[in-house]
Amino acid sequence: MRPLPGLNLQVAPLARLPVAIGAIAFLFLGVFLVYPLWCVLSASVLTADGSALTLQNYAKVLSRTYYRASILNSLTIGALASLSTTLIALPLAIGIARLEIRGKLVLIGLAALPLILPSFVGAYALLLLFGRSGVITQALNAWGIPFGSIYGTPGIVFVYTMTLYPYVLLPTVAALKAVDRSVEEAAESLGSTPARTFRTVTLPLVAPSVLSGTLLVLIETLENFGVPAVLAEDKTILAVEAYKLFIGETATNPAAAAVLGSLLIALTALILLIQRRYIAGRRFATGARRVPPPIKLTAPWHILATLYCWGVVLLALVPFFAILTLSFLEFRGPVLHRAFSLGNYAELFSTARGPLANTLILASLAAGLAGLIGIPVGWVLARTRSSLTSVLDVVSTLPFAIAGTVLAIGLVIAFNSGGLVLTGGWLIIVIAYTVRKLPFTVRASSAIVHQLDPALEEASVSLGVPPLVTFLRLTVPLMLGGIVSGLVLTWVTLASELSSTVVLYSGPWRTLTVVMFQALEGTGAGVAVAAASLLIGIALIPVLIAYRLLRANELSML
Amino acid sequence: MSSIAIEGARRSFASVLAVRDVTLKIEDGEFFTLLGPSGCGKTTLLRLIAGFAELEAGRISFGDTRIDTLPPHRRNIGMVFQNYAIFPNLTVAGNIAYGLKARNVPRADVSRRVEEALALVRLTGLGERWPHQLSGGQLQRVAIARALVIRPEVLLLDEPLSNLDARLRVDMRGEIRQLQQRLGITTVYVTHDQEEALAVSQRIAVMEAGRIEQLGSPEDVYRRPASLFVARFMGTTNVLVGVVAARQGAHMDVRIGTTTVSLQAPHDMRGGDRLNLCVRPEALRILGIGEGTKDGEIALAATIASCEFIGPLIRLDLTLSDGSPLKLAMLDRPLHPAAAGDRVSVAFGVDRVSIFPQAAP
Ligand SMILES: Nc1ncnc2c1ncn2[C@@H]1O[C@H](COP(=O)(O)OP(=O)(O)OP(=O)(O)O)[C@@H](O)[C@H]1O
Ligand SMILES: [Mg+2]
Repeated sequence: MRPLPGLNLQVAPLARLPVAIGAIAFLFLGVFLVYPLWCVLSASVLTADGSALTLQNYAKVLSRTYYRASILNSLTIGALASLSTTLIALPLAIGIARLEIRGKLVLIGLAALPLILPSFVGAYALLLLFGRSGVITQALNAWGIPFGSIYGTPGIVFVYTMTLYPYVLLPTVAALKAVDRSVEEAAESLGSTPARTFRTVTLPLVAPSVLSGTLLVLIETLENFGVPAVLAEDKTILAVEAYKLFIGETATNPAAAAVLGSLLIALTALILLIQRRYIAGRRFATGARRVPPPIKLTAPWHILATLYCWGVVLLALVPFFAILTLSFLEFRGPVLHRAFSLGNYAELFSTARGPLANTLILASLAAGLAGLIGIPVGWVLARTRSSLTSVLDVVSTLPFAIAGTVLAIGLVIAFNSGGLVLTGGWLIIVIAYTVRKLPFTVRASSAIVHQLDPALEEASVSLGVPPLVTFLRLTVPLMLGGIVSGLVLTWVTLASELSSTVVLYSGPWRTLTVVMFQALEGTGAGVAVAAASLLIGIALIPVLIAYRLLRANELSML
Repeated sequence: MSSIAIEGARRSFASVLAVRDVTLKIEDGEFFTLLGPSGCGKTTLLRLIAGFAELEAGRISFGDTRIDTLPPHRRNIGMVFQNYAIFPNLTVAGNIAYGLKARNVPRADVSRRVEEALALVRLTGLGERWPHQLSGGQLQRVAIARALVIRPEVLLLDEPLSNLDARLRVDMRGEIRQLQQRLGITTVYVTHDQEEALAVSQRIAVMEAGRIEQLGSPEDVYRRPASLFVARFMGTTNVLVGVVAARQGAHMDVRIGTTTVSLQAPHDMRGGDRLNLCVRPEALRILGIGEGTKDGEIALAATIASCEFIGPLIRLDLTLSDGSPLKLAMLDRPLHPAAAGDRVSVAFGVDRVSIFPQAAP
């Protein structure tokens, strides 16, 4: 350890590797996350020629009821969806954690699935089933039964509830299982009835976990693009309007898009801040020494509970099964015929072989890159404590709160001209994907490292193996199981990414999700359904293969 | 092998000074122990030597070579961790070979040296086992073999026995000491167990709040503690309160309760000073009826409060005439029937008394 030339500063021998990793991560996130976001913010507060600061853009956008409504709509839908998600998931969590439901293991596996199934596909399925010309709508109409509209708020909230409930369910189940039985026994020994104990002791203990899941749902709903893009119709939604203003079929208006984008960032970042500062840290780690015994219910109640649990979980999967079924039926234009056919797939493979390959290539590259950066960063966060690592922690969590559309808009503004031009190519999509998934790989990796005894690495170093080699030869092999499952999950969710792709793709780099998105407006419903089924397959098959490596709590970090 | 010189080593964590300006020299081939209560900075000092914690001030050398500027993997140390830190993804042989491979030792030599190391810790034939197939004591031996096989300059052990049961701990400490003597390797051993420290060490540094309170041989720190803290930490001790009645030259009269005794005076004691006098329970003996004190002995009158038989020892709780308690321990002797309520005379040699200024209550 020589003093650096010209600097009276000694770099700690052990700290060199974390510092190097941190530097690379800061560089990457600085250039591809912070700078683009900065571009969005500055575009929103600069005059058109960029010469002066102004609040004109905000004034203009906010003076239009159309855009004010989009903010209000986004928040209303977000609030309704978070509420309904929590109300659905809480009883389900209690059932899974505390009742003897038949087939519980399968149930919890199935309950985690919506996290990897594209919500966009779920919305699309709903449209095909209950839309104006949907299969079920038409059948109902044929029998003379009127059917209301699923467009707008009801459909969107329904899809969010069915695809996001695991965000509340999984942490709540974990929290319920971590409640120490003796705390409940203490309450009962003091004369509390079991029901009262549950209300006054157990629920308060798990409340922070529930609430923190609820807030994550709220963030997801605010930044989601695919679901409102399919179901909103004339309802304005923040993330969609920002996209329209930026890509616009008529006149584009980047400044106004930046205003909506900045507002969206402000909202989601604020919620993430609340979630991390006030709620996530408040989880009561009671660490169950004795897991509470199952609650005994009378037979009718037990049957009811079983039906409820299985009902919710299966209902959430129905749209996906429906899509799979529909994909084998014959479409003529947008119209469905009840005849078995492989025509959709034939058409998909003849017209969309490129997009399929693109999806696989882009997702693989990005998953690899997210792993390459995220795994070492997770190790640093788990192993070193300093003010710099807390900043790294915050910055690497930030993408979670950034809507894909907004990040993509930022990337376009930032790398459309100047020294580094990326727009129009594949690299910018890979970068957007990597940035978006980094919070997951980082958190997955640090969770694994936390379970590894740091003395193992010290033992290796004390035997003469340098830190970097120790990391590669000892730490990475020990993390391998977790790394593989984390990367599979990353890959799977990237294959169905829409919100940033839709802004960033260019001619040769369309993905399957873009094909589906375009089919919504055109006539290619058959291709879209086949593509959606393929996406479901892409999501399910690796997960089923890697099932033994996966744990539900990893899914909850997605 | 080499000596270790630590000069003015300092290390703090946030507001805690974990190691404050420690200076000491550990001789070539010495078995040296860092002993002290939890949180006194033993581990931190050991990790400073290993390089896992960094010095804020001071320097550390092995022999004539300054090493605190080297990263840990270049210091050539062997380290044994409290929880063994055996790599779970490698076999026993793989664990032991790990450091050799890092040094690019030729293949043939690796397997030979692994075999030798296994033999050294009496694990011959277990090389192909996986760590989860070994008992705690065997894992401990693998950890030692892994640290020794690289022929380190110094061997560092941080509470290596604390995860073992009491019996095994006694066996293993003997084994470690024998191995160390055979190899003559400079060893720094961290423990909070004073009996373990006394049993294996050539010298002991008793630490408290980041400082070295006393450095000396096991006999020194036990019999001639340098402070009240050391006296109390090294085992049960009686702490009597006395007042210096008068001082004449090298002697002083000290009043303990109602008795006045003459003692050697530490140079800074003056008339009226209050003292703590420490004397170990086993240094006390009960005088037989009519038996007088020997030369250099002091006698105090006491009443037996209770009596405890614990096999090899009999422990008595006594009360002095001023009400203060006194503990006495003696080997089990059937001839000394003592019963609660008996009034007895208790004698001890003045050379067994350690005198300190009275600590703040
Ligand atoms: N990484 C750290 N961060 C903050 N404080 C620390 C750290 N390591 C040690 N300390 C503090 O430094 C002091 C000395 O700790 P150290 O681990 O050296 O004690 P020890 O003597 O080994 O104790 P024990 O017998 O319990 O292992 C303690 O007050 C401890 O809380
Ligand atoms: Mg320690």
